Amino acid sequence: MKRTLAILLANPLSLLGVVLVSVVILSAVFADFIAPFPEHSGAVVDFANFNKPPEWPYIFGTDLVGRDMFSRILYAYRISLILGIVVLAIAVPIGVTIGLVAGYLGGWTEYLLMRLTDVFLSVPPLVLAMSIMGVLQPTLANGMLAVTAMWWPWYTRLVYNITRGEKEEGYVLAAEVIGASKAHIIFREILPNCVPAIITKMTLDMGFVILIASSLSFLGLGVQPPTPDLGSMVADGAKYLPDSWWLTIFPGLAILIAVFGFNLIGDALRDILGAEQ
Amino acid sequence: MIPLARLLAKRLATSLIVLIGVSMLIFAIARIIPGDPARIALGPNATAEQIADLRAALHLNDHIVVQYGHFVADVARGDLGVSLYTNRPVTADIALYLPATLELVLVAGLMMVGIGLPLGIWSARWRGRAADNMIRLVSLLGVSAPSFVWAVILMLLFAFYLPLFPIAGRISDSYAISSVTGFLLIDTLLQGDVRAFGNAAWHIVLPAFALALSGIGQAARLTRANMVETYDKPYIEMAQSYGFPARRIANHYAFRPSLIPSLTIIGLDFAAMLGNAFLVEAIFAWPGLSRYGVAVILRKDLNAIVGTVLIISATFLLVNIIVDLLIALLNPRIRYSQRPA
Amino acid sequence: MTKSLKLLSIAAMASTMLATAPLSAQAGGVLRLDEVAVGELDPAIASDYADSILMFNVYDTLVLPAQGAPGHVPHLAESWEGDGTSYTFKLRDDVKFVSGNAMTAEDVVFSLDRMKAMGKGLSYLFANVEKAEAVDASTVTFTLTKPYAPFVASLLRLPIVDKQTVMANLGEGEGEMKDWGAAYLTSTSAGTGAYRIVSHNPQEETVMEKNPDYFLGVPAPAPDTARLRYGLEAATVRTLIAQGEHDIASQWLPPEVIKALAANGAQVLTESGTGAFYVKMNTTKPPLDDVNCRMAFAKAFDYGAAIKMIAVTDTVSQGAASTGAVPVGMFGANPADQVLTRDLEAAKQHLAECKYKPEDFTLEISWIAEVPVEERFALLMQANYAELGVKSEIKKLPWALFAEQVSKPENTPHLSQLFVNAVTGDPDTLLYGMYHSSAAGTWQSPEYLNDAEVDKQLEAGRTAATPEGREGAYAALNARLMEIAPTIYGYDRQSVFAASARVKVPALSDPSKAFGLDGMGFTFRLMEVAD
Repeated sequence: MKRTLAILLANPLSLLGVVLVSVVILSAVFADFIAPFPEHSGAVVDFANFNKPPEWPYIFGTDLVGRDMFSRILYAYRISLILGIVVLAIAVPIGVTIGLVAGYLGGWTEYLLMRLTDVFLSVPPLVLAMSIMGVLQPTLANGMLAVTAMWWPWYTRLVYNITRGEKEEGYVLAAEVIGASKAHIIFREILPNCVPAIITKMTLDMGFVILIASSLSFLGLGVQPPTPDLGSMVADGAKYLPDSWWLTIFPGLAILIAVFGFNLIGDALRDILGAEQ
Repeated sequence: MIPLARLLAKRLATSLIVLIGVSMLIFAIARIIPGDPARIALGPNATAEQIADLRAALHLNDHIVVQYGHFVADVARGDLGVSLYTNRPVTADIALYLPATLELVLVAGLMMVGIGLPLGIWSARWRGRAADNMIRLVSLLGVSAPSFVWAVILMLLFAFYLPLFPIAGRISDSYAISSVTGFLLIDTLLQGDVRAFGNAAWHIVLPAFALALSGIGQAARLTRANMVETYDKPYIEMAQSYGFPARRIANHYAFRPSLIPSLTIIGLDFAAMLGNAFLVEAIFAWPGLSRYGVAVILRKDLNAIVGTVLIISATFLLVNIIVDLLIALLNPRIRYSQRPA
Repeated sequence: MTKSLKLLSIAAMASTMLATAPLSAQAGGVLRLDEVAVGELDPAIASDYADSILMFNVYDTLVLPAQGAPGHVPHLAESWEGDGTSYTFKLRDDVKFVSGNAMTAEDVVFSLDRMKAMGKGLSYLFANVEKAEAVDASTVTFTLTKPYAPFVASLLRLPIVDKQTVMANLGEGEGEMKDWGAAYLTSTSAGTGAYRIVSHNPQEETVMEKNPDYFLGVPAPAPDTARLRYGLEAATVRTLIAQGEHDIASQWLPPEVIKALAANGAQVLTESGTGAFYVKMNTTKPPLDDVNCRMAFAKAFDYGAAIKMIAVTDTVSQGAASTGAVPVGMFGANPADQVLTRDLEAAKQHLAECKYKPEDFTLEISWIAEVPVEERFALLMQANYAELGVKSEIKKLPWALFAEQVSKPENTPHLSQLFVNAVTGDPDTLLYGMYHSSAAGTWQSPEYLNDAEVDKQLEAGRTAATPEGREGAYAALNARLMEIAPTIYGYDRQSVFAASARVKVPALSDPSKAFGLDGMGFTFRLMEVAD
């Protein structure tokens, strides 16, 4: 663990990733202290200062009802991170369990579970999430649900492939010989060997969940105002291009920075943990 | 070629099962969207009697399993029902809008392969050097923003501040192209109108590039990773020690084995692109399936929702079968290991 | 392999190079405009603004609104007379459909029958019309079930279709009339209009061209071709106009965008007088079932800020200050200088008298997803009512879902924001559908108002025989609606269109040429296109 961190900090690219992600997390956690206008995360209107280009004290400009874009972006990071964490916290255990069971048990169980996975994988992710969001009221909780529904199959695929390889390995066969239960073999013997791959994918996915959630918001199927949300900001701002460019460009860059940071770390982790395996 | 045919048959059968699963999934989702589709379709001033008639005509009062039965029977006849939104058969609507989306996604796919693979090859060849780091950084950036952000940035830069490309649409108004395939790049050539072809190509560059950017990054990263792995293999080291030109080693010995995993990912990326096309089409006013898809979901247009998702999924499965066959053709080991279980 | 890949990318780049050579689009005589919604070509289904533009150009009606004045003038009809329940129209005998068939009384009868039988779109305007009969080839009589003063105005919404052509193109359906030609008429037109359909793709664009045989003739400077495109993004329209590739933008561009275009030399066209922006309160749901709570919210609304939000330039705005329930210019309206203003003290007093306490409820403020400016009004109200100590939540609803939810009072949000206009220009078509107790629960009546006095004045307004009688009824109605406050009367609406300098549209720029009916200003034959 320590060694992994040391390698991460030694490489300039992954160091950049650590810095970017730290900035994002710190802005989200300490938004109350950093934001010049914390109350602008909610329903505040200030028509004396609306649609202002970046200028002091509004370093990222103001939106169409006069709220500080910089403050809103900080609070939007909070929403994005919560969404990413919750989605992965639900999707990963489900996906991993199904993958382990299908990979280890084989036979009809495998066939049914993997075809089910294929069904979810063969609807383009965004289209599936859109269909689900069309059913539900657009709220943060439902947004998470929709993204979760399309996310678990990727972990099933990943773990399934590893499990199929591992189950022929000596230590698994040995455990079978001494009569260990199936649950024991799946969760105590095989699962630990999948962990590095799962962690790498989770780091990468943290970025992609933020990305897909912002895409949903972009289509109007995301978090509701006045809650600040990066995807909705880009979508709403895009109507005012090119004149009020700050409404779109800053939230767009904010998405880019967060996703880029997680990708840099995930990439480095893949190299490190992959090499150790 | 017999094993290949067998592989094809097997993949087609699996895809059919998956497609049936997709239809059930999406059918169930479409039926639980809140709101009465009949009322929405008939508009605000409809009478209770008109709504009841339409509900009966749509079998909405039956059990969902019975409804699904009606649906399957219709699909078997090639009928996806009538859209409540456009009052036209769903198949006609999809036939009208799908080609534009497919054209966009296919051109983006070509860009992904045509730009992403060479970038990956260069990156691997110069691994560890500045060029490699640049390419890695750029391709990671490409993956790191949603395609709608790229679309907005590209439009702002290259259609507004520097008006090099058109801002919207598929072709300029002055060209009248009769639709044969629905693919403008093909239809213009069929008419022998080279200027119209150029105009259509000029229109597709920005939206396709916005759509392809994340795929280009993905393809470059993957190709690089796979080639770096291959570079460590003994036969490459041998070729190097014999003094083969680096270019020849890269293009011939290292690239070919790396192509197979890259192709698999390209197949998967195609699915993402079919979805992301929804975002890009909105910004470039591209008259594809996206506006239709979003509109029918919001309007709870049952037949159209099910039809659209089904067609998109079928397209995706088809592409993956083609990719699988390509891989099998490229790799004899896979080709011959497909024995019936 | 790589070589061919390289070739491919080179080929792709070459084709783009080749294409960047200027391909200047020939703009001679082409009018390019856009609308947000999908265009519906069937006269029996058409209802919204985009549809109206199509109807007013490819079809004709018996009468037209007088320009710059109240009342109606003959069009397909030469003259008419009526006595409350029976109207007789004498038709012109020189009018031909684009098919070449002559327009006769039979076609008028068929058009009404078709509208009523299909029961869609604006057919409810003809609910009081019992039947139409052809007396002879050029005379048609309408019989009403009861007196209906706005009847002649409602004929503006009865496009006359070509019976013979439709009968020859009936699609699948049950009964003698099958589908009434619905499949045929959604894709093409069968009218007498100054323009005829070249192509129609409901999601992309409708292309129309001059009808050389139009009975009034189409002036030469009028556009030869009109391309009406649907669903363009605001940023796209803004850029297209700036680059000289678009002529008239839809009214749904945000005010900031119109402002930017005007600053770059675009002209600003306006159309006004038939509608308003309303915030409708669900009077069946606590706390809005108490008139004092409603009054509190009406008084606390910041009317001045709302007007400021929709200002386009110093002189043009998307709305004028509201004076009451009836827009200025209609029967019964209050004087234009008697504007509503915010009164927070009065609001607090009303709230204190309301039987519900602010801590006991959360107000749902909805906005229609398709109309982005409503989000800002929602935020404005949220901030305004927070000053009263009232909590609220904002709810975004796609139009279709909204129209469905309002059919039940318990699903209808507390506050619904709506732009409503008189579809025939007559106050009856604005107010009856919103406030009569029998019309409750449609998209325009989420108040669920049930008030005997309101019902009485609405009936009086539509049956009064003289203009003075109607004026009196609507003035009384206005007073009553202010007293019971079912609605926050936001502002009187004005549609604002950004347009390129190469078009002249007198009906949208010269008040003496204005029609006083939404969409009629887009009569292409009265426009001029340079070059």
